[in-house]
Amino acid sequence: MSRSDAGSDDAGESDRLPSIARRVVAPFVDRTVAERLVISVAAILLSIVVGFAIVLVSGRVAQCGTAAWTMPLTGIGFCYDPVEVYLVLFNGALGYPFAVGEPGLFNPNWTPFNLSLGLTLSETTLLIFTGLSVAVAFRAGLFNIGTQGQLVVGALATALTVLAAAPFLPEGPVAGVALIVVGTLAGAVGGGFWGAIPGALKAYADANEVITTIMLNFIAANIAYVLVLEVFRAEGSSVVATEYVPEHARFLPWFFPESSDFALLALLVGFGFIGGLYYLVEHTSFGYDLRTSGVQAAAAEYGGVNAKATTVRAMTLSGAIGGVGGAVWVLMSEGRWLESVPALGFDGITVSILAGNNPLGVLPAAFLFGLLKGGALEIGFRTDVPTELVGVLRGLIILFVAMPEFFRMAGRYAGLGSRGPRGPDAGGSGETEPADDAAAVEGGEADA
Amino acid sequence: MRNPLADVSIPVLDDLVESDYVRSLIVGTVGVLGALLVLGTLFPDSVAGDLSGIVFSTSTAASTARLAAPIVLAGLGGIFAEKSGVINIGLEGLLIISAFASVYVASVVGIGNAVLGVPAIWVGFLAGIAASTALAAVFGIVCIEFKADQIIAGLAVWLIALGLAPFMSTVFFGGVNTPNLGARVSWRYSAVMVVVATLASWWALNRTAFGKHLRAAGENPKALDTVGVSVSKVRHAGVLLSGVLSGVGGSALALSIGQFVGSGETMVQGKGFIAIVAYLFGNYNPLGTLGAGVLFAGLDAIQIRLQQLGYAIPDTLVQTIPYVVVILVLALVGRTRLPEAAGEHYETED
Amino acid sequence: MNPAVHMDGITKRFPGVVANDDVDLAVERGSVHALLGENGAGKTTLMNVLYGLYEPTEGTVFLDGEPQSFRSPRDAIDAGVGMIHQHFMLVDPMTVWENVVLGNEPKTWGGLRVDREAAREAVVDLSERYGFDVDPDARIEDVSVGVQQRVEILKALYRGADVLILDEPTAVLTPQEVEDLYGVFEELTDQGKTIIFISHKLGEALSAADEITVLRDGVNVGTVASEDVTREELAEMMVGREVLMEPATTPQEPGERVLEATDVRAEDDRGVEAVSGISFEVRAGEVFGIAGVDGNGQSQLVEAITGMREPTDGSITYLGEPMAGESRREHIDRGMAFIPEDRQERGLVMSYDLTENGILGSQHDPPFAEGGRLDWRASRDHAESVIEQYDVRPPNADAEAESLSGGNQQKFIVGREFERDPELVVAMHPTRGVDIGSTEFLHDRLLELRAEGKAVLLVSSKLDEVQGLSDRLAVIHDGEFTGVVDPATVTEEEIGLLMAGETLDGDSVEGAAVHDAVGEAEAAGTDDGDAGVDA
Repeated sequence: MSRSDAGSDDAGESDRLPSIARRVVAPFVDRTVAERLVISVAAILLSIVVGFAIVLVSGRVAQCGTAAWTMPLTGIGFCYDPVEVYLVLFNGALGYPFAVGEPGLFNPNWTPFNLSLGLTLSETTLLIFTGLSVAVAFRAGLFNIGTQGQLVVGALATALTVLAAAPFLPEGPVAGVALIVVGTLAGAVGGGFWGAIPGALKAYADANEVITTIMLNFIAANIAYVLVLEVFRAEGSSVVATEYVPEHARFLPWFFPESSDFALLALLVGFGFIGGLYYLVEHTSFGYDLRTSGVQAAAAEYGGVNAKATTVRAMTLSGAIGGVGGAVWVLMSEGRWLESVPALGFDGITVSILAGNNPLGVLPAAFLFGLLKGGALEIGFRTDVPTELVGVLRGLIILFVAMPEFFRMAGRYAGLGSRGPRGPDAGGSGETEPADDAAAVEGGEADA
Repeated sequence: MRNPLADVSIPVLDDLVESDYVRSLIVGTVGVLGALLVLGTLFPDSVAGDLSGIVFSTSTAASTARLAAPIVLAGLGGIFAEKSGVINIGLEGLLIISAFASVYVASVVGIGNAVLGVPAIWVGFLAGIAASTALAAVFGIVCIEFKADQIIAGLAVWLIALGLAPFMSTVFFGGVNTPNLGARVSWRYSAVMVVVATLASWWALNRTAFGKHLRAAGENPKALDTVGVSVSKVRHAGVLLSGVLSGVGGSALALSIGQFVGSGETMVQGKGFIAIVAYLFGNYNPLGTLGAGVLFAGLDAIQIRLQQLGYAIPDTLVQTIPYVVVILVLALVGRTRLPEAAGEHYETED
Repeated sequence: MNPAVHMDGITKRFPGVVANDDVDLAVERGSVHALLGENGAGKTTLMNVLYGLYEPTEGTVFLDGEPQSFRSPRDAIDAGVGMIHQHFMLVDPMTVWENVVLGNEPKTWGGLRVDREAAREAVVDLSERYGFDVDPDARIEDVSVGVQQRVEILKALYRGADVLILDEPTAVLTPQEVEDLYGVFEELTDQGKTIIFISHKLGEALSAADEITVLRDGVNVGTVASEDVTREELAEMMVGREVLMEPATTPQEPGERVLEATDVRAEDDRGVEAVSGISFEVRAGEVFGIAGVDGNGQSQLVEAITGMREPTDGSITYLGEPMAGESRREHIDRGMAFIPEDRQERGLVMSYDLTENGILGSQHDPPFAEGGRLDWRASRDHAESVIEQYDVRPPNADAEAESLSGGNQQKFIVGREFERDPELVVAMHPTRGVDIGSTEFLHDRLLELRAEGKAVLLVSSKLDEVQGLSDRLAVIHDGEFTGVVDPATVTEEEIGLLMAGETLDGDSVEGAAVHDAVGEAEAAGTDDGDAGVDA
């Protein structure tokens, strides 16, 4: 084991760095994390393949004048070109950095501050928060399906707080910062409260958090809707929505077009949350308690962890992060609370699962779903394929990520004949795990 | 503290419903309706009069039946899956996919045409059931054979259907909403199907060997395994039945209007989740599920009618009632106890 | 006439372990046969072979002289073998009759209906025939454990079992239920059924069985008729004439009272009382040992002392402070170390590496945590020092706990707990599954702690271990101490008797034992001499 050597040699200043680096890198080097990573990537690829098939099949049944794509060898024509769909999806989501139909790989007119990339990053930013929210609960062994509700409550709390506080502060950047901070805090408190409810119900009434959080999602949406409809509705608004919060109290778009609803600052805050949460989970006593409760409750109890308190705390924290997501949605995307809040909370579950519930993994996962969102719009513009395809892909990714056993079986099957070409992580982890289990069981038997 | 309603003894009901809780639910509902009828007849000009008029009107009954069918049928399906140990949180997805497939196939066959003597609309109905069952089969394989997390896989089923149905609709009809078929299935059929399915489910769960195996698979799969019954077969059967029943519900929902609406949360609008509420509320008893489903759908139907009459009741709050009730039930009464082994994978000994 | 069951030369190997080594077993029709041995002696493995759960590596099973090759329990059931597991295979919310006929329901209406009447009648008939007092319509969750066991027996009989295997049938029963069970055995054998039951309790084998086969370390030590054998002989067969460790304890004056337990009562997870009023004390600089057969309340007693379980009654005082009902955290913070019996459930987080496992329990305390922040550097150093001092292999702080062998896992836990600098160490089976070299090493460390003036509470089912290390030795049986003895002078037979629930001087169990545990220590404390050793 070469990894240990870095830290275990003589203690010294030079030693410190590798040790810290090791801690950061460890989650990706660990066998289980590596396995998760492989499974996540495999799930994405598999869903792309299945999506490819869906596009082909639906292209066969759809009506069109000329075939967009003709299958080699067979000569069968299809209305949709799956290759083009994916090219548009991923290239378009970034604002076409790669040239289409022109010589040269890159598009010379591309700038990073384009509308499409802005939309993609806007979605990414929001998903970072909801993904983290779900991930934190997951790490404590809790399935928080209620991030959606926590986001709705947090968003409303933010909007109302900022609207209430704005008149007392003179317009200006200082007031803007203050309002953003206060509004975000309000979102955290609102979401945290809404998350604490299922936490307390789980800890003290043994009520299944999956069911209570689903219910609380509906309750949050309905109550917020009625509150705004009856009490806080903006005058003359055709939709059920609050007044807009003042311009200066919003995250400013900076380099990106305003219509992209994206603020770089908010993304940076998201990065901060990723780092902070990673630190919290991996480097604090609280995080240790949380993780231990999640993976092995009996050992946590032995180690002096208060199970009930940890449950409530984890759910409160999870809700608070969801609430911050709601705050960002209000202060960055919409500028107000309005009905039909997008399903960011549910997408957060997807993001967290894809990320293996690792805060650091949330970033690429959120970006992937951001790409899908941004790319969906481009698909709508540039192809005849319905944008709902992206929704199907999202569902497929989750379905495939949910079945690691399938990939282990596939890995074992593929690894049977040849051991050589596959990396030690891909085929190897699948094969060695049962052996390890057997050893553990055997040890147990021998003791008894 | 004993529930006084539970002491009311009604011979037939006592035989059908073993749980005091469900019995008091049914007795309570009947009691409220009865009181309303009496008050409404005595004071026809009061709110009670209006209410009574609404509750006992045919149009309310029709819309209740229409709204209740997907809730009750998916709820019944959920019972079969969950009793066998597989929590099927994807009922919503099964309703969506069957709602779309039924309308699609009916339109492909063409209203007025028939296949093997079966009119198009009923061909569509069967197609809806087939689509839902197929999706349930995928869910079952993923959960039972590939040991997927049931909750995550269930969410995936929902998300896939939520994307696939509007996608297909756009492919075939150029929009997320299908055109109206111009024909529909009468609410009376829905009502009959709901009642028949409820009674059949009750019988299957309580009187057949399969029902006993289902319960054992969910409560103590090892006990079932050691007497030589395959746990995974029983679980597959439970999940498939949830697909069949949800398929009936989804088809009934769409064909009772003659159209699939795919915008937003689609026309199913969370009825699959309400179905979960209904069977939890009904404590896994088909009759209780029927009661809860009709109650929730009825509240909705009445509320719609009340608004038409000019009563300003925020409809959204009425719709919130079932959810709040479930949380209260879970927190305070703790009646709904999940099957012991629900959500867990089972591996045979040898 | 052929015996009902004949297991001929059964050897069962698991990777690295020989669970059964050339075991012969013959059981006559209509007799009750006890399979006796310590935990891990291979009893359950042997019965799993008979029940078709395992295929033997070598050897053959004969039923009524016919060779059998069972591939699954299904085959064994078809051949008339029924097994009643220690954990009942019953569906709690279903009724007795539903459970009995599960999987073999009689049907009517073309299979659309379970023939309730026929099923109930079959169950009633069976239970009347064998004199069982069972209500066919009661739900399993509403009936006592004794009745549940009878339902399991009915299940086997309903499926036509002629040979009934019972795994530790009395483990979960009250004394009265045990008597009833013996009555059931008689009824069954009178009607030609054959019974084999697994046990580690001498008394039970003697009173219920016609013949007793003793297994030790996977080997058949001998089969004896219960009339021809004494308790002492059986105990000797079970434990064997292992080379006893020379008591390494040097006389030492015990210091002040570290732990004092008075009339402690505790329940197990099922809510049955497992500890029935135990009193004792542990002083600084002494090892207080508790010997006994597993499952006699040791686990619950230790859990009550270490804050993992709230005692239902009695008081526990640690360093002068009342501890009963305090949180587990409080127990850790006050310097109580605990080596749990289930290292893979509690002692270690299997998916964590050793660095992370090294701070389990200390995750809020300096030097590993300051202001809520974990110092992985210090944690790592700590893990590495434990690894080095306790010879954990592989010597790699990054290794996940699950990748270590059982013995190395245990060494790491022991090291972690000892390095806590505790005032009291509660050690439960500290050397289980640990190789001989490491065992000696761990024993030396325990004695070092004692020499440093720490208090040690040692619970073990290894007689030589508790006897060799303890200053005073209590024997636990059925949630009570049957005696507190001087390990230096007590004989193995005497301990065997105490473990079987007898008292040495014929006194009733209560009173004498309780008095002993505290009284003796009292003497030790007041006398100036080395009372702990020569009392």
